[in-house]
Amino acid sequence: MTSNLAVSNRRMPPLLVVEDSNEDFEALQRLLARLPLTIPIQRCINGDQALACLYRTGAYEDHQLPRPGLIMLDLNLPGTDGREVLRRIKQEKMLKEIPIVIFTTSSNPQDIEDCYQYGVNSYIIKPINFAQLKRDVQVIVDYWFVVTTLPSDLED
Amino acid sequence: MAEMTDRVSVDLTNCDREPIHIPGQIQPHGVLLVLHAPDLNIIQVSNNTQELMGRPPEALLGTPLSDLLNEPQTQQIQQCLTEDFESVNPLNLSIACPDRAIEFDGIVHRWDGVVMLELEPRANSGSPNFFDFYYQVKEPITRIQKAPTLLDLCQVVVKEIRRITGFERVMVYQFDTEGAGTVIAEDTDQETPYLGLRYPPSDIPKQARQLYTLNWLRLIPDAYYQPVALIPDYNPLTDRPLDLSLAVLRSVSPLHLEYLHNMGVTASMSVSLMQDQKLWGLIACHHSSPKYMPYHIRTVCEFIGQVMSAELANKESSEDGEYKRQLKSLQTQVVETLSQSNYFLDGVEQLNTQLLHLVNATGAVVCSGDRRVYVGDTPTEAEIDILLDWIKSRLDQSIFETRSLPKQYPAAESFKAIASGVLALEISRIHHNYILWFRPEVLQTVNWGGNPNKPVEVLDDGGLRMSPRKSFQLWRETVQGCALPWKPCELEAVVELRSLIVGIVLRQAEDLAAMNYELKRSNEELDSFAYIASHDLKEPLRGIHNYANFLMEDYAETLTTDGVSKLETLVRLTQRMENLINSLLHFSRLGRTELMCQSVNLDQLVQQVIATLTMARPHIEVEFRIPRPLPNIGCDRAQTNELFANLISNAIKYNDKPEKWVEIGFLTREGTEHPTFYIRDNGIGIPQEHQQKIFQIFRRLHGRDEFGGGTGAGLTIVRKVVERHGGRIWIESILTQGTTFYFTLAAEAVI
Repeated sequence: MTSNLAVSNRRMPPLLVVEDSNEDFEALQRLLARLPLTIPIQRCINGDQALACLYRTGAYEDHQLPRPGLIMLDLNLPGTDGREVLRRIKQEKMLKEIPIVIFTTSSNPQDIEDCYQYGVNSYIIKPINFAQLKRDVQVIVDYWFVVTTLPSDLED
Repeated sequence: MAEMTDRVSVDLTNCDREPIHIPGQIQPHGVLLVLHAPDLNIIQVSNNTQELMGRPPEALLGTPLSDLLNEPQTQQIQQCLTEDFESVNPLNLSIACPDRAIEFDGIVHRWDGVVMLELEPRANSGSPNFFDFYYQVKEPITRIQKAPTLLDLCQVVVKEIRRITGFERVMVYQFDTEGAGTVIAEDTDQETPYLGLRYPPSDIPKQARQLYTLNWLRLIPDAYYQPVALIPDYNPLTDRPLDLSLAVLRSVSPLHLEYLHNMGVTASMSVSLMQDQKLWGLIACHHSSPKYMPYHIRTVCEFIGQVMSAELANKESSEDGEYKRQLKSLQTQVVETLSQSNYFLDGVEQLNTQLLHLVNATGAVVCSGDRRVYVGDTPTEAEIDILLDWIKSRLDQSIFETRSLPKQYPAAESFKAIASGVLALEISRIHHNYILWFRPEVLQTVNWGGNPNKPVEVLDDGGLRMSPRKSFQLWRETVQGCALPWKPCELEAVVELRSLIVGIVLRQAEDLAAMNYELKRSNEELDSFAYIASHDLKEPLRGIHNYANFLMEDYAETLTTDGVSKLETLVRLTQRMENLINSLLHFSRLGRTELMCQSVNLDQLVQQVIATLTMARPHIEVEFRIPRPLPNIGCDRAQTNELFANLISNAIKYNDKPEKWVEIGFLTREGTEHPTFYIRDNGIGIPQEHQQKIFQIFRRLHGRDEFGGGTGAGLTIVRKVVERHGGRIWIESILTQGTTFYFTLAAEAVI
């Protein structure tokens, strides 16, 4: 309990959610809000936006947002899709340390295989079960924001 | 039977092998001079020069021809050594003999490495001029050309030849396909007519036929002649008997002479009738006393024979004119029908009796792969299968035809009444496309000119000798196992039909390939559609599910129990829908992933499946029966696992018996190396009327929650797995007693 409290007082790096579905994002937001941690959430609705955000280009040029502590990435996105975003991030020296969790509808074994080949940190299939979704979100946040120690430059 | 065999061998020894082209002798009515080319020195002569030209043979041997002939005549022969002898024959020769000059008809030709000059004394002086020849042939030729039918033509010819030659009997023989000759026209002053009589093929042996095609005219002025030997015996250049194939004077086979004696014939002349370079028949002339035909008369006869030969094709092709037109129009209809149908056999089925009319048959079978279409009277399926195999090795240019099948194929004896005549057409060996036509037996009476089975004489030394037959009395035979012959125009129609059908079959095969390609493509598209659609359906479904939960969380206090219960139902329905979508996704993925075939130990696999299933349902007691260990087979392990899991779990699920059992086994069948697997239960069974429906996706026979529930995709997946392995699946089931699923996991060999 104490450690949790200690963590909650810490300034959390933001969570970048790349998700085109408003309904899915709302569900995610709802569940995150109930967690004891206060995590800033940044949402991008497609791959291009996500890349602009990470590279601080375009509309994000003047943003002074800290780098995200976790990216939750949907695979099937309009325009540049999740697979391409993943590949680009994991090839970039400055970005590849950011953990990425694929959070998608696709249960295709080929997708799972490809994502791990690109270096994804975790692959989670979106459940159609509210209780399970709640549990999954909690586990993700706990694991990546509490249990895991990330490189220090991500936290500044 | 042994006697029969002997008779055949005697036949061959005596007739077919007699070297009649090198008799070493000539007939005595002329002189043969054999000359060395190009100097024209005499190197061999017949031993009758003394009688015919007053010079002993020894005096001629070694001398140049110019000693006998004057300069222009020698030059004439010399000049044509490198050219055509036809243009100089006959030579009008005058040879100075000791007491006088003798006029000869000279015929010169080159053969066997030497030049042969045959000299026949001319009876009356003065050679016939061109106009004599013209007047003699003008009338007969005009009549020949005017003759309306083939038989009229023959009748004209025998009359004209008899008028010109004065022979007692002039006949036209026509040979049939088996080589037997029939007298089809006759002009005679003799009492016994030979018209309509038939002579067996052995009456004119093979090598004699060959000589008839080389030499269009053959003369035997006196069948009782004393043959004249050649001096020396052998051709001095080759040291072999001289080949007299083209020599007019060539001595006659003693067997043939005996034949003529038996027939009462002393002089004979025959003119060959040719069609398409084949011996079609003969104009045969007989005389009871010696009779010599001078060269110019023979030339007239030979010319008439040539004109008649040329006319044969015309007359034969104009025969059956109406019938041929009918065939042509029928052929057009057949091709039209066939080209309008998608499949060759479907078209054939529509044709029905038209197929018979096409060749005037009474039965027909069309074979395409394993399928058969029967029209009219045909042998049984089993008989046809064996017959077809037999015919396949006897096809000549895709055709086989016979009018007397039982003679060549003894098994046909039992069905000769409907199929003595067979005409078979191979359309495609690869696709096993054949058409067979049948004709019934037609009992025929044949009038032979004497018993066609030659008598055999037992010689003093115990050997056998076949003699020419002695009796030419009418000898009637009833011929069995024969059908009416297939007419050349019918065969032509069939050959033509073949090339038309081949075109149609090829086009249909192409269409089919294109359709298959399209089907494959649309199947793939459908698979990918099902995959994407079901995938995309999940997102809104998840939204509905989540929002129903939000409602329950946020408004639980304001909602009545009834409202909450409705939201719960909504959530439950989204979960069921997800199950369906997952099944659909799974099914479509099954068609999209590659098969990973490897050797799989099915025994282990099934044991694992059973272990997993019983773990999931520990409360269900089922007896698993495996009569013998399952074999190793090549298959995709994951898919096969799913296949067995689905079938075994179904067998457990749909069972209401207190003592449940499931039997898993396999059958091996003769003729195939692939086992047939089965999974049998003592469950509830499947009603007959539903047995075809169970494999359809989401097709359920029971309530959603009966028998443990399920989405209804399991058996569809099972069938997909089986089909992807190239196998097939089928069921046997008795309601309330149990069901057996049979399946194979490899394509069965096409038999």
